[in-house]
Amino acid sequence: MLSILTELVSGVCQASWRPAVAELVTTRGYKGEAPDDSRGDLIEIPLPPWTEKDGETMDIKRRRLLFQSRKRGMLENCILLSLFAKQYLNTMTEHQLRQYDRLINEPSNDWDIYYWATEAQPVPDVYTGEIMDLLKEFTKNKDQEQRLDAPNLEYLDKGSQ
Amino acid sequence: MFCFVGRCLQMSTQYPVVDHEFDAVVVGAGGAGLRAAFGLSEAGFNTACVTKLFPTRSHTVAAQGGINAALGNMEGDDWRWHFYDTVKGSDWLGDQDAIHYMTEQAPHAVVELENFGMPFSRTEDGKIYQRAFGGQSLKFGKGGQAHRCCCVADRTGHSLLHTLYGRSLRYDTSYFVEYFALDLLMEDGECKGVIALCMEDGSIHRFRSKNTVIATGGYGRTYFSCTSAHTSTGDGNAMVTRAGLPCQDLEFVQFHPTGIYGAGCLITEGCRGEGGILINSEGERFMERYAPNAKDLASRDVVSRSITIEIREGRGCGPEKDHAYLQLHHLPPQQLATRLPGISETAMIFAGVDVTKEPIPVLPTVHYNMGGIPTNYRGQVITHTTEEGDKVVPGLFACGEAACASVHGANRLGANSLLDLVVFGRACAHTIADICTPGEKLSPLKPNAGEESVANLDKLRFADGNMRTSEIRVNMQKTMQNHAAVFRTGKVLKEGCDKMDAIYQTLDDIKTFDRGIVWNTDLVETLELQNLMLNAVQTINSAEQRQESRGAHSREDFKDRMDELDYAKPLAGQVRKPIEEHWRKHTLSTVDPKTGKVTLKYRPVIDNSLDAEDCAAIPPAIRSY
Repeated sequence: MLSILTELVSGVCQASWRPAVAELVTTRGYKGEAPDDSRGDLIEIPLPPWTEKDGETMDIKRRRLLFQSRKRGMLENCILLSLFAKQYLNTMTEHQLRQYDRLINEPSNDWDIYYWATEAQPVPDVYTGEIMDLLKEFTKNKDQEQRLDAPNLEYLDKGSQ
Repeated sequence: MFCFVGRCLQMSTQYPVVDHEFDAVVVGAGGAGLRAAFGLSEAGFNTACVTKLFPTRSHTVAAQGGINAALGNMEGDDWRWHFYDTVKGSDWLGDQDAIHYMTEQAPHAVVELENFGMPFSRTEDGKIYQRAFGGQSLKFGKGGQAHRCCCVADRTGHSLLHTLYGRSLRYDTSYFVEYFALDLLMEDGECKGVIALCMEDGSIHRFRSKNTVIATGGYGRTYFSCTSAHTSTGDGNAMVTRAGLPCQDLEFVQFHPTGIYGAGCLITEGCRGEGGILINSEGERFMERYAPNAKDLASRDVVSRSITIEIREGRGCGPEKDHAYLQLHHLPPQQLATRLPGISETAMIFAGVDVTKEPIPVLPTVHYNMGGIPTNYRGQVITHTTEEGDKVVPGLFACGEAACASVHGANRLGANSLLDLVVFGRACAHTIADICTPGEKLSPLKPNAGEESVANLDKLRFADGNMRTSEIRVNMQKTMQNHAAVFRTGKVLKEGCDKMDAIYQTLDDIKTFDRGIVWNTDLVETLELQNLMLNAVQTINSAEQRQESRGAHSREDFKDRMDELDYAKPLAGQVRKPIEEHWRKHTLSTVDPKTGKVTLKYRPVIDNSLDAEDCAAIPPAIRSY
């Protein structure tokens, strides 16, 4: 039953990557002209679907997600996700951990995660949920903190390893 | 089961070792690494790709610009004009055989990518759309702006990674994802493979191979402010250094004038194009003094230098007076919202600044490393002696930002970097296919090969000194930022070298806190710090020694280029200076990892193209635009 469910979900996810043919990429303005994107590579060359890791304890999952939050494809995500992880990772429930795992590991274009978090582009249905809401709120930086860099790791050094 | 045994804190820890044999091993899965892995797999080689990141998360994904190629779709074009632009852009430090190779191959490489399925943006007639980019001209600089940058909307980097990764899987490339490569396995001057840590379970893996390709990217993270992801830690350069081999031209670091202070995220030139201005602590629009005509829109290196001088002279902003302000709030909010939407968000998210009310703190920011592992135009890693000249290191190859072929010389042109990745990734695969056949038997490897790497890992895992990884890292970054940034002068560089030396010694006193072996981020970041330090000491020492200004290396005390002839004057009657007396040469740096002592040597620039009849080499000239 679980495997059928997983396949269904993967199928939905694959489907969500098939855009309407004439769709224009939302231009980001400051990145210059962004001509039409046919997304042909994403359609013709699907990557193996992401699958959840089996048999991981929550503790190990947190350790893995910490590494994967801090090491991203571009600086904006490195800073955003490592600060987010510092704030929330250690208190996420199992369900939230799994949502977060999927959010940061399934999308192939790191920029998409940034566009969703900054609300520049709509979030695909498969990623909507508690974690995405937390991330969007966190990104707004309502307290106007200076986010100069990814935090140093030592906030974890409380002998609780 | 074979194990290395670590001996720390009177404990004897077992590190199980798994050995693999492959025809080729590629370290790094960015644009260059994937192109090499794909090319090798396609040619029938049993290939492993060892990467600390999932392939589509390599820093290549950040690239939104495009790939230069003289396809001639927008106007008549010729790769020899692209060749000229690149040689000039490199300030005549680029090797013209490699530049010839890259620019001539560019159209083929782009068409090939298109055939692999990369959906380049198209013109209305269905040809690949090409746009203008800085430094690209027609007719050897005399025909105006060239349009030769091909792109996939604004996600060229992502598309490149997705396409190559997807295709390589069809050829059975073996990916070892989230494996951190520790060191090269060298024996008798030959590279026999790589040893790596599997982060998922803490096991050690030795990848034995006749052909190892390093494609590990740049090392922006040696500086306090860089546009690079936190993954750009120069791992490949460091592995090569620890193997006793030289790195080349590390002093040539490209700066972008406006990265957000601290965070380093790029703030586009478009802001200044829309009317944004740079101001100092006195609220003065200082660019009016440095560039009375162009003002804030002067060329990148001029703006970078001006900002740095203002800070040096005490007119920097903020509590530490160490950055400048980019002011946008004098512009109508409507204009900001419609024409620069991304800027407002980025400024709020990373600087906590509301651009309609306050200025954005900015600083010239490290953006790219022209230097790296020296190779010939075929991707083979080389060493150099005065007696024998260039010599290939058997079994070792390098491509991408990690390598120094050298196509960018002293300064890189925009949209040439993605091109560099695909052309030289492909070159490594072709060269290996030329000199090897799949399934060749491997020469034996000493049973304890890689022992020192594991001992180092073990030592760091249990390190209990007085200085935390993050402390040493920030000391290094601030030293590089203050002493080897845009503005370089002998006295300041020398102070920097001494400080860096002292910081290097503190590595012996390092303290880590995570004693685990599974997904130990603390350990990985400490290994990365070791790698960064090796890059940093070579960069600052090379910069201190180079007494001239060329490309991105700008010395206030030696403002001119020092070539073998004075190209500003008529050449007739001049006597060519011997290589010891001029600076148009490559720096080769090595480090003793135990002491941090840097040794420098020099190597001539290759001034001939691959075929003089097909493509005339460009003799040096004064570089002006």
